Amino acid sequence: MPRRLAILCLSATMPLGLCAAQRPSLRFSGQAIALLTTTNAVPGGATLTEGRLVQPVLMLEGAALGDHLQLHAMGDFEGWTIQHGQLATGAYGEGYYDRRHPHTYVHELMFTGGDLLGRWDGDVVVSLSAGKGFAPFGTDDPMSRPPMLYPANHHLAQILERAVAVTAITAGKVTLEGGTFNGDEPEYPSQWPKWNRFGDSWALRASGRPVSGLEAQVSRAHVHSPEHRQGAGTDQEKWSASARWERAVAGRPAYALAEWARTAEAGGAYLLHSALVEGAYGLGRYRPYFRLERTDRTEDQRVFGEPFRSVRPHLDSSILGITRWTISTLGAQVRAWRRGAVAFSPTAEVAFANVAKVGGGVFDPQVFYGRTSFATLTVGIRADWGMGGHRMGYYRGTPMAEPMTMPMDHQHPEP
Amino acid sequence: MSRRVLPFLLGGLLAGCDHTTPLVPTNVAATSGDAQTDTVARVLPAPLVVTVMVEGGNPVVGAPVVWAVQSGGGSVTAATVTDAAGQASATWTLGPIAGAQSVHVTASGRSVTFTATALPDAPTQASKNAGDKQNAAPGAALPVPYAVLVRDQYGNPVPGVTVNWAAAAGQGSVSPAAGVTGAGGVATTVHTLGPTLGADTVTATVPVLAVTLTFVSTGLRQAILVATVPIAPNYGIHDTFVRNGIAFVCAWNTGVMIFDVGSGARGGSPSNPQLITTIATAGGETHNAWWFWNGASKQYLFVGQEGAGTIGSSSQGDIHVVDVSNLASPFEVGSFQLTGAGTHNFWMDEPNRILYAAYYNAGVVALNVSGTLSGSLSARGIDTLAPGGPGNTYTWGVQLYNGSLYAIDMLSGLWQLNTANGLLSVAAGGNNVPERYSSDLWVANGYAYTGTWGTRSAPGNAVKVWQLNPTTGAPTLVDSIITSGIGTVSDVEVSSNGKLLMFSAEYGPNAGFHFYSLADPAHPTFLYKYPVGGNGVHTATFGYIGGGVYAFGAKDPTSPALLILDVTSLTQ
Repeated sequence: MPRRLAILCLSATMPLGLCAAQRPSLRFSGQAIALLTTTNAVPGGATLTEGRLVQPVLMLEGAALGDHLQLHAMGDFEGWTIQHGQLATGAYGEGYYDRRHPHTYVHELMFTGGDLLGRWDGDVVVSLSAGKGFAPFGTDDPMSRPPMLYPANHHLAQILERAVAVTAITAGKVTLEGGTFNGDEPEYPSQWPKWNRFGDSWALRASGRPVSGLEAQVSRAHVHSPEHRQGAGTDQEKWSASARWERAVAGRPAYALAEWARTAEAGGAYLLHSALVEGAYGLGRYRPYFRLERTDRTEDQRVFGEPFRSVRPHLDSSILGITRWTISTLGAQVRAWRRGAVAFSPTAEVAFANVAKVGGGVFDPQVFYGRTSFATLTVGIRADWGMGGHRMGYYRGTPMAEPMTMPMDHQHPEP
Repeated sequence: MSRRVLPFLLGGLLAGCDHTTPLVPTNVAATSGDAQTDTVARVLPAPLVVTVMVEGGNPVVGAPVVWAVQSGGGSVTAATVTDAAGQASATWTLGPIAGAQSVHVTASGRSVTFTATALPDAPTQASKNAGDKQNAAPGAALPVPYAVLVRDQYGNPVPGVTVNWAAAAGQGSVSPAAGVTGAGGVATTVHTLGPTLGADTVTATVPVLAVTLTFVSTGLRQAILVATVPIAPNYGIHDTFVRNGIAFVCAWNTGVMIFDVGSGARGGSPSNPQLITTIATAGGETHNAWWFWNGASKQYLFVGQEGAGTIGSSSQGDIHVVDVSNLASPFEVGSFQLTGAGTHNFWMDEPNRILYAAYYNAGVVALNVSGTLSGSLSARGIDTLAPGGPGNTYTWGVQLYNGSLYAIDMLSGLWQLNTANGLLSVAAGGNNVPERYSSDLWVANGYAYTGTWGTRSAPGNAVKVWQLNPTTGAPTLVDSIITSGIGTVSDVEVSSNGKLLMFSAEYGPNAGFHFYSLADPAHPTFLYKYPVGGNGVHTATFGYIGGGVYAFGAKDPTSPALLILDVTSLTQ
């Protein structure tokens, strides 16, 4: 397919994103996954099976003034479809445990002034971005990666849904990004960032592309009081390093990611580490993938009667301990049907996990879960309307990239 | 005029004089008797007179007239045809209903209405109209005023009747003590209950009737919210220490807010707290405080800082010492830090100047705080004891009682410790609440009451009741108060007279203040609940101000506020 059919370019003669002329352009896309998950990674030793529609998003990208002005906007409707979260082994954050929280309705709304200095700085591209979106930290959002379920390290490896201002400087194969934002995490899908906290947190990311298809980054962030909206909670110091590789191997698209992340909270009282590798390989219509992850998370006191939720913000000491989740995920996707920009891809993935207590604390996973090893099976159908090829969380001001032509959804060119 | 027209006019005139064709009235007018005022059921002094006329004003003789009482229920005695002057008259006896009354008069399709104002008759009866049989806390003004309704023989309210009010001896007061009935026949007064529990009576006397009515209301135990003080959302509000009309409100990163709630310093009261000042101690995270008060010198405030921690494993937070010799200008003078552990609640042996601090994973710390305090207090440490041992100690609070120091530990339960001038050792107890995490404690009446927190194998919805051995002081569990619809009992306290147990509850539909009678201290009985929405109440402590007893509670954290309840009645 000419994926470009998914593109609505106001220029009738050129694919959007490559509308090099001064004509404005727009690109719409979207995706959703209807899935069924069964897992025993739930409190109390039970097995739970749930069907949900996850990641229902619509995206709008726009460019004008020869890509000097760009828009990244995404509406996320998980607040309606997974109001109480999605079963996901080891997931935590924003008051959820063992479930991934729904994202906010306005997932991204970023405006970017790209290559602001034009020819004055030669080939250097300087951009300024502002709006609601990702801080320049860590790796691609899991939504744009092969597995259907999010990794446990989402809150260690990405910082999103913030009021953020980002400056990016790209010189050749190196990009430096710096951003400031509000530290508070959203508490529910319709909540906006706390505007008067804008600027209390910052992030820096340095990325390099030494060879074709390989991108490495290291990033650092200071997040002030993410779990207490008014700003009186503890701070996080975050690090991330990763290498992302994507290119054709034997004529088939291949993708791999290796990342490490570290978050120190409350002056180092809580140290959380994560290491993750994942990869995918295209075999015609089929795409097998895997993910190996080892991630630490704090164990908060759960809400009485709601074992998937924690008291938030917590009072006094509510941290019961730290657990380490080792999760292996295998999956395969097959593109069953495609018309134009729309594709439907049945997918199945299985995850095996093990949890262990790290350090002190009273949290005993054996007692809480009734086991320490878990299995999760998920089957679903991914509906994609031009989202394949989109990387999330980058506002570098470089010309809007056309999705790569490798026939693998959710594999991406350099942004 | 034309000669040819004249015959027709004459013919017409002759025809008009034909008595078989009566004139048609064109107007009916109220000639007299309208708008009179008199007492109900009386005959109006002036008759009602109507005049029936044709066009031009000439009266109509013999015109039929119909009289009808339209409102008020009275009656008329009337002529039914007009006389030679075209008039008809009627005598109107007012009906029994006070107010406007009317009579409708019709003649040949024309009509007119007479109105009159009927005044009530003389008062003949009085009755209680509102306010009887209310319940409120002793000393409280009843929300609904007492009302007496005075009526005449027909039931009409009678205004202007004097009613005298009197409270029974010792049973409160009334205001006003006398009044007259208003337009509705009602006189009112507000009854402020007397200070004791039980029935209070007020009499209402209507002298003109020689009638006395008795109102009875009841003083019941209840908590009354008298103040809500918003606290900045810097992680809200935690403990409050109240003494001598001063409230030290620990408001996390805002610091310690010092309120006059009845000391006289700033004119504050429990219902109108006046902020004196705020002192932010180093590091913030202000959690609890103890005003070191030994009469002559009360210059120090010990402030607990609660840092990050992992239950059962680690904690952070120092003890900060603030010079409050001048409450309006406090300043930090020193601190105590224990490596690897953080402090929580305090108790002080004031005569011996020893501060006992719960220290989470370090257990219990005893500090010598005599003399002048300045800088690091690390040399002031007397002893440290982790009663449950490593990995089994996370001590929430301590309290001295009858020479023993009782410590409540989240993991290992209630302990009795020996203390010899601050040197600590285990006497008894421990490992006695295995199914729950423990929280706060209070010891009184030879019993200890301990709260529970969060979820272990059982939820933190219990208050444990421990009997202390009269000889040794060793605790034995004798009862538990289980409260549905809560997730944590975060603070426990017994009133100074030993009659009232209060605990704060969080997380659940029954979160708020809970009060129990200690008539039988081994088996408290439920008295009253004051629900608080959101997450409920994080801490609660008593304050004794101006003869009243108040509960100071921390509403936390989404919309933090200091709640002050008048609970005097509950302590009786």
